Amino acid sequence: MKPTVTPDPFGGELAPPRTPPTAPSSRRRTAASERHGPRRPGARGRRLRPLVPYTLLAPSLLVLAAILGFPLYRLVALSFQQYGLRELFAGKGRFIGLQNYRDILSDPFFWTVVVRTVLFAAVCVGLTMVLGTLVALLLRNLGRPMRVLVTAGLVAAWAMPTLTAISIWQWLFDFEFGVVNWLLTRLGVGDYVQHNWFDQPLQGFAVIVIVVVWAALPFVAITLHAGLTQVPAELEEAARVDGAGAWQVFWNITFPVMKPIFLILATLSTIWDFKVFTQIWVLLNQRPSREYFLLGIWSYSESFGVTRYGKGAAIAVVMVLLLMLLTSFYVRQMLRAVEP
Amino acid sequence: MPHRHRITAALAIALALALGVAACGGSSDSGDQSEAQSGPRTLNVWLMTGSAPPAVVDAVNAQWKTAHPNDTVKVELQQWNNITTKLDAAFAGSSPPDVVELGNTLVSKYAAAGALQDLTGSRGQFENNQAWLQSLTESCTLDGKLVCAPYLAGSRAVIYRKSMFAKAGVTPPASLDQLQAAAEKLTQTFGSDKRFSAFYFPGKYWYAALPFVWDHGGEVAIKDGDQWRGALDSPESQAGLTALKRLVDCCSRADKQGDELKQDQAFAQGRIAMIVANGWEKGVILDPKQGNPKLEKDLAAFPLPSRTSGQTAPVFLGGSDLGIAAKSKNQDLALDWVKTLAGTKFQTQMATVGGVIPNSTTLLDLHAKDPYLSVFDATAKNSRFTPTSPNWANVEAANILPDMLVSIFTERATVADATKKASTQITDTLNSGS
Repeated sequence: MKPTVTPDPFGGELAPPRTPPTAPSSRRRTAASERHGPRRPGARGRRLRPLVPYTLLAPSLLVLAAILGFPLYRLVALSFQQYGLRELFAGKGRFIGLQNYRDILSDPFFWTVVVRTVLFAAVCVGLTMVLGTLVALLLRNLGRPMRVLVTAGLVAAWAMPTLTAISIWQWLFDFEFGVVNWLLTRLGVGDYVQHNWFDQPLQGFAVIVIVVVWAALPFVAITLHAGLTQVPAELEEAARVDGAGAWQVFWNITFPVMKPIFLILATLSTIWDFKVFTQIWVLLNQRPSREYFLLGIWSYSESFGVTRYGKGAAIAVVMVLLLMLLTSFYVRQMLRAVEP
Repeated sequence: MPHRHRITAALAIALALALGVAACGGSSDSGDQSEAQSGPRTLNVWLMTGSAPPAVVDAVNAQWKTAHPNDTVKVELQQWNNITTKLDAAFAGSSPPDVVELGNTLVSKYAAAGALQDLTGSRGQFENNQAWLQSLTESCTLDGKLVCAPYLAGSRAVIYRKSMFAKAGVTPPASLDQLQAAAEKLTQTFGSDKRFSAFYFPGKYWYAALPFVWDHGGEVAIKDGDQWRGALDSPESQAGLTALKRLVDCCSRADKQGDELKQDQAFAQGRIAMIVANGWEKGVILDPKQGNPKLEKDLAAFPLPSRTSGQTAPVFLGGSDLGIAAKSKNQDLALDWVKTLAGTKFQTQMATVGGVIPNSTTLLDLHAKDPYLSVFDATAKNSRFTPTSPNWANVEAANILPDMLVSIFTERATVADATKKASTQITDTLNSGS
């Protein structure tokens, strides 16, 4: 992505996020209030002031520490232990240091799964964002009745409980009684009688991607549509008057203005798609073969299938670290977009 | 109000009497001093789907109740799918079910981890305990200790449609080649229906694939000293799987990713000539709700033939055992319940009503006059078992065999590659510390 220079004739209210700091005129007001705001109160106020947010945050932090922190601590502790069925029944594991991690990292299957997981997440996030943007743009250009209809459809898809939705998708792609096979055969696309979509992993993953993207689309589309309503029409109109095409308007005006929203959505999607579990688990009848293992499934299968809880925990820790690595990219972008 | 109470009490007494009378014939020597020690208790029992018919379970409960009138028993039916995950969680808790039915390949895993009560001292109290089926007793023995009671056995044979065989002009085959030829003939005869399977074989059905391996001289794993070595990549095993693939390629339209859990319902739909099944599965096929009772007269069975003409292939001897949780606080109640179900009276009912192979050799002639069930009993005589390692359950839990079969049938991998991969995994899993 190259930095975009955005025309900004409106006093910086909607300062483009990536404008370099060398253009102070565009963010005169916000920058000034940030810089001078905290300095105004007296010395005592300055000392107390930083405490207020923390005091306000404290209750929720405590709750989070209890319901997230403790399991996380247990997970990390478990990953350093030999913890099998015997240990489970006795309720006590044996410390073995980094052995579990060494086992994982020396297993060629680990790298296969990591690459597969990253690719899968990348495809899902990419498709979700592109399709979400297209639907959001469509929503903006639709007349009121159609817009209500499409929004209602999106909300309905969004509101459907995950398991119910996946079961319906599973039935659609069913080997014997599936609508998709029936339809494709009737349409003359080919012989899909008793075609199993999960015979070949590439085709199977295509179905899984469809199910995942389908479920993720509504949130992205509706959020982006909300964001689009904040893009000043004058800006786009001005660009159009200057002879910009639809793509140029989107890329040079709309996208930069909405970039923080895109970043947040991409971050969230990455987190969700990186740890996809239920879709694969249910679509493949709770017995996915190793060709379908993503990190989450592998971790679950090691822990609860083969009862090597220590190793399963280590995989989960590695997965969290990888996820942090991936999302740190977005978070940095986001911070850069917010801070001067 | 008091009036109603009296009626309820009267009804309760009447019910208790009725149950007592109904169950009079059973052994009543088991009710010792134990009831006195506390108030009413609840005995929790986990049975697997398809094990005991509801009528038998009810009768066992009723008889048990005569010895323990103040206590209640709750029987829950569990699904086979992912049962190990559920059992792991149950045994890890402080109050697991008191009695559990365990597939015979799963017992050693739980016994080795200390989940099951040692029953060595109670063995003498079981009826027929000296005549228990050898392989079931072995599955219940760990380091010389008895950790469960043999419950039932099942071995597989081929169930087929007589009318379809007649129309295609084939007879029950006496060799593997004849089976292949018969399946091909059936496919020709009924092939206009694209969903027709002459030999219906779901891709993950590893119990039914093992006979092909064993019949060709192959093994799943071999023990060298104290180390296991996966042996599915031996030329013999590969030959067996290749023969199976040939049969599946030509004559099965079953889901190559599917398992055998719904094969009886599929068979009842009328588009299948043969399935590999347990004796009791006939009951599911003929079930009025999920099957088709009209097929009753059209069903027959023959043992899976060997590649050597005139012999049968060794089959996997499946079965279940009844274990008592080591953490159970109702050891006496649990033992009584297990003794009742594993005793002569209810084993006879299991064999005649349920169609399973009962747990002792003294009861094996119950099916002798039944031309259908006697086929299954006969196959049990030439039967094999999975490697006797506490880690075997992890081989099952990791789906190593189903995965291998699926990749062979879908041609994601060659027989050579798929068996090599599975063998390595089996070696690793069997030798890893549990």
